Amino acid sequence: MLILVAMLIGLGAIFNIAEMSAANSASEITAASGLAQFWAFTGFANATVQHLIMIVVGLFFIFLAVKYDYEPLLLIPIGTGILMGNIPFLIGYKIGVYEEGSVLNYLYFGVKQGVYPPLIFLGIGAMTDFSSLISNPKLFLLGAAAQVGIFATFLGASALGFTPQEAGAIGIIGGADGPTAIFLSSKLAPHLMGAIAIAAYSYMALVPVIQPPIIRLIIPKKERLIKMKPPRAVSKTEKIIFPILGLLLTCFIAPSALPLLGMLFFGNILKESGVTERLADTARNSLINIVTILLGLTVGASTQADYFLTTDSLKIFGLGAVSFAVATAGGLLFARLMNVFLKKDNKINPMIGAAGVSAVPDSARVVQVEGIKSDPNNHLLMHAMAPNVSGVIGSAVGAGILLAFLL
Amino acid sequence: MLQYLELQALYFNKKTNKMNLLDVTSGTWTITFIGWGIVFVALVVLVIIFTNVPKIHFALRERQLRREGKIEKDETIKLGSITGEESAAIAMALYMFQNEQHDEESGIITIKRIERRYSPWSSKIYTLNNRNF
Repeated sequence: MLILVAMLIGLGAIFNIAEMSAANSASEITAASGLAQFWAFTGFANATVQHLIMIVVGLFFIFLAVKYDYEPLLLIPIGTGILMGNIPFLIGYKIGVYEEGSVLNYLYFGVKQGVYPPLIFLGIGAMTDFSSLISNPKLFLLGAAAQVGIFATFLGASALGFTPQEAGAIGIIGGADGPTAIFLSSKLAPHLMGAIAIAAYSYMALVPVIQPPIIRLIIPKKERLIKMKPPRAVSKTEKIIFPILGLLLTCFIAPSALPLLGMLFFGNILKESGVTERLADTARNSLINIVTILLGLTVGASTQADYFLTTDSLKIFGLGAVSFAVATAGGLLFARLMNVFLKKDNKINPMIGAAGVSAVPDSARVVQVEGIKSDPNNHLLMHAMAPNVSGVIGSAVGAGILLAFLL
Repeated sequence: MLQYLELQALYFNKKTNKMNLLDVTSGTWTITFIGWGIVFVALVVLVIIFTNVPKIHFALRERQLRREGKIEKDETIKLGSITGEESAAIAMALYMFQNEQHDEESGIITIKRIERRYSPWSSKIYTLNNRNF
């Protein structure tokens, strides 16, 4: 198919020559010149190699989602968005996502102004059960430890010559949280948002590939077998108090993260209060689905070849891969360190440290799979969900701190 | 802070392809360590609070139950006395008990007589052919 497209582009070049000579020789509109004019409007005439590369990337995303089931809810809209954003067109006809007044530009407004990420957080809050974290609050620390990925990437990006604002926006990829990455990059480095969002979502989708080797490298086999105490039952009052206190405390510490953390905890209050089931149901189903469609599609469309295919994007992808590895290693090493201070019957399985990155629930699922590989009777999913949701809070606080420093 | 960083950026924005941590400014190092530190502090505060909230909650509950006379004066409610797994087992047992209640029936078969008012529309005599075979 790509060969066919390339041939058509070549044909387009011949047509363009024919069009020019036709315009020179005859002033009246003939069928040939009309066709040539039409041809000039088509994608074939305007396509470049960069467009084709991006179309291949979009197809690859769709392939990953369909074939391997890697984050299909994100990769299908983003992949389709990449295809849509890289259909070549003539500039000035209000078609592209960056053209004022185009439909895609209106939809892109939610990304550009950071409207969609808080709405996603509302839905996440309404579907998250914080019980495992409430029953074992010390696991909060694993979420904090894994945020080393954000700050290590910030350093790395600075060392590569990015400005502090750009480095901050790139650093948030280490938080492994797509909406937070979009929110922060829309404020600090809007010109890099496409690359940052695509890197963040790509690596989130690849969590099942990236994390297992790091877990096996850092955690010795003996420690992988540790069985954790089952979490205690959490009362309804505790579940209601958690989002209220969480909202007040985290937002007092990092007010810049208010749009994200406020919506996250608001969604959780809707869920746990038990009296707003209709609202919670809308937030965790219809609303988050609609916003995911709009966010995925427009982020994908924002990867227009001429804006996206730069050396900066390549650097961002490289830094993103390192940041995921550093964040995972940070969580794992801190879990091992915690075990040094914990009593024998209270030890944690250090593999759950990998779930400190906020890719919910993929990293917790990876820990569960790795746990079962080591011991088929050791189910770590519930325990891993605690650092996982703590990672969401931690990365949002991290984003707030970077905003406070750099905006 | 922002102005300082902007000055640093002007000086520093050279976009080289080599990573050199020696080129990283002191402002960047400061943000890195203070930023990560604040994330830790925020979550440590949450750890402290949510370690103590259940204790306070249980103490208040205990006092209320004692006032209502539901527990003895020297009796205490132990925090975390019921694990999630135990709760799940109790819930499962209740669920199965309630579902299986349906199968425990008396075994007495009765015929329920249904009385309907007469209507020619549903009368059997009009729906059968009155033929003498």
